[in-house]
Amino acid sequence: MNLFTSSILLTLFMLTTPIMASSTNFYKSNKYQHYVKNMTLLAFIISLIPTTMFIHTNQETLISNWHWITIHTLKLSLSFKMDYFSLMFMPVALFITWSIMEFSIWYMHSDPNINQFFKYLLIFLITMLILTTANNLFQLFIGWEGVGIMSFLLIGWWFGRSDANTAALQAILYNRIGDIGFLLSMTWFLSNMNTWDLQQIFMLDQNSSNIPLMGLTPAAAGKSAQFGLHPWLPSAMEGPTPVSALLHSSTMVVAGIFLLIRFYPLMENNKPVQTMVLSLGALTTLFTAICALTQNDIKKIIAFSTSSQLGLMMVTIGLNQPHLAFLHICTHAFFKAMLFLCSGSIIHNLNNEQDIRKMGGLYKILPFTTTALITGCLALTGMPFLTGFYSKDLIIEAATSSYTNAWALLLTLIATSLTAIYSTRIISLTLLEQPRFPPLMSINETNPLLINPIKRLLIGSIFAGFILSNNMPPMTTPLMTMPLHLKLTALMMTILGFILAFEINTYSKNLKYPHPSNATNFSTLLGYFPTIMHRLPPHLVLTMSQKLATSMLDLTWTEAILPKTTAYIQLKASLLTSNQKGLIKLYFLSFLITMTLTLLSFNYLE
Amino acid sequence: MSLVHINILMAFTMSLTGLLMYRSHLMSALLCLEGMVLSLFILATLTILNSHFTLANMMPIILLVFAACEAAIGLALLIMISNTYGTDYVQNLNLLQC
Repeated sequence: MNLFTSSILLTLFMLTTPIMASSTNFYKSNKYQHYVKNMTLLAFIISLIPTTMFIHTNQETLISNWHWITIHTLKLSLSFKMDYFSLMFMPVALFITWSIMEFSIWYMHSDPNINQFFKYLLIFLITMLILTTANNLFQLFIGWEGVGIMSFLLIGWWFGRSDANTAALQAILYNRIGDIGFLLSMTWFLSNMNTWDLQQIFMLDQNSSNIPLMGLTPAAAGKSAQFGLHPWLPSAMEGPTPVSALLHSSTMVVAGIFLLIRFYPLMENNKPVQTMVLSLGALTTLFTAICALTQNDIKKIIAFSTSSQLGLMMVTIGLNQPHLAFLHICTHAFFKAMLFLCSGSIIHNLNNEQDIRKMGGLYKILPFTTTALITGCLALTGMPFLTGFYSKDLIIEAATSSYTNAWALLLTLIATSLTAIYSTRIISLTLLEQPRFPPLMSINETNPLLINPIKRLLIGSIFAGFILSNNMPPMTTPLMTMPLHLKLTALMMTILGFILAFEINTYSKNLKYPHPSNATNFSTLLGYFPTIMHRLPPHLVLTMSQKLATSMLDLTWTEAILPKTTAYIQLKASLLTSNQKGLIKLYFLSFLITMTLTLLSFNYLE
Repeated sequence: MSLVHINILMAFTMSLTGLLMYRSHLMSALLCLEGMVLSLFILATLTILNSHFTLANMMPIILLVFAACEAAIGLALLIMISNTYGTDYVQNLNLLQC
């Protein structure tokens, strides 16, 4: 009982210790990396204590420490909410971060700034934990912005490369667009419920309005790369592979989904927002799965796979099943991080080759990575009784047996089969057949710093689903009965996808590579979305503002309206009304004669 | 009307005639304009002094001030014309004809 709050605060405090040590001499030595990794391991172990206590007693905690400020009637304090979601997420996030840190000791070994890299990863982890354990929206926003900043710094790690800078800037801009919605919600909550505390918000929600949830949805869409705000996620693959594994597969991109899950008491009463979230998620999952089919960079395929799974999580929230979405977050983190680590192993071993058209035949050369890759892909597609099955299958079952939008359901099912297809593409192009890379490569996977993280995540990918779903306290009534054909829907779609992919692979293996068709171009160029949206709106807006500022204000309103118009009117009028020949003497003479005659006639003709 | 008034009025009429009937130079028109103003000034002052209406003594003085300004403008226009055409012949002023 007493260990609960102490363990939480100890976990959070322990992680800040290496950052405080960064101002000392220890920061420059080679042992710093192992120190950070060991700290994360210890934090993981300590965070298991509160989680186990929660599983045993289903008791939530609210830690409210330090009263920061009171502005009129708004009281802001440092408070941590340790409930179902944050207590389950913390060990998962810490476990995965530990594995990724161990991996990046191997991956970033030759980088001179490796200690700074570890510091950045650690700051990211701390802000992510701040986000998940926040009890008021202000603290959540601190964590939200913190992960955004660290994402910027880590994507642009190799900042000498202009593509990396562009990608980092793109991530910041798209997140910012979503933050507008977040600030809108915060303002609405402040002015209507006088608070930013989650407890008070959930208590005071009688006749709910659409505005706050309509504001939170773009925020989630921006952070979790839903359709319309999605191009930053594939571009973020410019960062090093550990960054992609940590941020853009397991942890940061689920922050948006986590926000919507946190607000589930508001969402379960609001049907329009649920429908909107459902449609957005379905559109995202299908669109990004289509884009993943023809990419040639292995990291981009896995990034689009992440985006597709995030769309699936949105669909789950739209079906009013936030706990299932949360389960999918936890299980997805395991196998997605492992897929990224395997791709990192392949990339480093092939001397930084990322194009799958230049890989092949790694099946016998890298047996362990092959095992992990195939297991990860199978877990991703929802192979029965691996990790992905426990969440993904439940989601598809919930979708097919609920009274929901049939179009969204159809899109989700098609995306499920496309998942199988691009997984097959990865496997067959990187692992099977003859090698397509240059022959003089020194390929080995003997380093334990590489093998142990993948081994741990592999065990997690196989067993975590089982362990998590048997230990999580059930918060909703699970679905017990359904017709057989609905139960087998997910499995059927996946098998269909696999069969289709293998079929196409077999008969087109030895054919000449054809000129890409229109559909292939659509898919490879990401649906033309970045091409259009990164060029047309900025051009239109800049042209409009130039026309407004220069032509309208400067030239028209201050120059041409009065001064030039007056001069023009005078000129035209004088040209119109004058009809002279310039005979001045005659004019004067006629004036004189007229005057004389007038005077004479008025004097002598009274 | 007394003889003095007729005298001054004759001066005014002669200047007026000179203003409206001149041969070629614009300068003579300006000179006659000055003569008109001068005779008006004398006429006004004499009438005011004769009728002991010294309250209206302001009028001729203000008339003189405005006449000075007007003479200056007239001379400036003459200089412009002389710059453009070289002489001040009146038959040159026919730019506005249609």
